[in-house]
Amino acid sequence: MKWGTFFITGMLIFLILLLQWPKMKNSPIKDKLAFISLLLIGWVLSMFDLMHISGPVSWLDTLTKPLTRLLEV
Amino acid sequence: MKNVKISSLQMMMLMYPTIIATAILSVPSIIAKYAKNDLWLPPIFASLIGFLTMFIVYKLHQLYPDKTIIEMVENILGKIPGKIVGFIILAYFLQSTGEISRAYGQFITTSFMFNTPSIVIISLMVLLSAVAVYGGLEVLGRLGQLFFPVFLIPLIILFFLLIPSYEPKNVLPILGNGLLPSIKGSIIPTAWFGEIFLILFLLPYIKDKQNVFKFGMLTVFSAMLTLVLVCLMVLFVLGDTTATKIYPLLTAGRYFSYADFFENLDSVIMAIWIVGAFIKISMFYFAVVAGFSQLLNLTDYKILIWPIGILIVEFSFWAIPSSMVFNRYENTALPFYAGFVQTILPLLILGMAFIRKKVKKSLISNPSQ
Repeated sequence: MKWGTFFITGMLIFLILLLQWPKMKNSPIKDKLAFISLLLIGWVLSMFDLMHISGPVSWLDTLTKPLTRLLEV
Repeated sequence: MKNVKISSLQMMMLMYPTIIATAILSVPSIIAKYAKNDLWLPPIFASLIGFLTMFIVYKLHQLYPDKTIIEMVENILGKIPGKIVGFIILAYFLQSTGEISRAYGQFITTSFMFNTPSIVIISLMVLLSAVAVYGGLEVLGRLGQLFFPVFLIPLIILFFLLIPSYEPKNVLPILGNGLLPSIKGSIIPTAWFGEIFLILFLLPYIKDKQNVFKFGMLTVFSAMLTLVLVCLMVLFVLGDTTATKIYPLLTAGRYFSYADFFENLDSVIMAIWIVGAFIKISMFYFAVVAGFSQLLNLTDYKILIWPIGILIVEFSFWAIPSSMVFNRYENTALPFYAGFVQTILPLLILGMAFIRKKVKKSLISNPSQ
């Protein structure tokens, strides 16, 4: 857990909500749902110690391991 | 959104920095590891992938002239498989945007601003790009027009200014170790040339569609030419030591000195890089945001800009603890991942589209079947 980044991201999300929400009053419910859920995904991700957990980069490293042998000098 | 229009020249001015901006700094040393003093050859081989991708892009565009790639795959593959393939493409571009921002942050923190945390640099660049994307595609097109000379002219001036430091015999012996090392070295830069795929996100908004193919091919060609020139420049100045430098062009820029007055051209290179990285990140950012809004059938793509901005900053750190891990990923996994999403996947989609058209035609001519 990284509380610092979590709270800073929370504040940013609050700011985004504050500025963007009034402009979205007339948008359909689908738009609002997409907006909120993407913000939530961002917030949840900020809880983790992102640099030191496995992620897309390490998954792709494993996936492409057989091919990278081609590139050995 | 559909009434926004840019010209195909503007498209070229956007795509050229998008391909070349990050390539001119890091690619020469990556290639030099394989090709040694033939490092000017691999960009030529790699550009073949760029030409192929542009050809696929154009054929897809001819079949579905008013659709972006995300809408296209839904039409070709059907609703659910189309959404899945669209998501794969967008996930690649989202992650790439994060990586490009990371590469940018890394370059600034290792070469110029040593004490600034890279998250500050990355967030500020993403914020700037977000504002540009918020302006819309027309604004991006004009930004491309505005920054294209700012990007290109210093590079040309640099080429001529460095002439006194050149040692052309560094290029000899040509093909001393045969052709294989050059071909191996050309695998990595294909990831950059394949980025011409991004045109598929712009095509429905282009005014003069008859020129798209010409300008697209010209973009790949000029990117190849620039990369070959930069590689030769670096090779002439640094020789065998090119492979040991992380940013060879930057090191080469430091060699220039005239009358003890004109020195430290590396700041010029930094300026080129920042302008290029800005255009590149904005283009990728636009593709991701517009793509997601089409994938989810939203009415306005602008609402996704800020949430995706947060994701981009997070993706630039996710599972990348150090620059070593990042460089290893860029030099091993990325070329295959990028090649799959940017070239092989569109090729498969194109094949499917052709089969679909054929089947439809035969059904119309033989309705009894």
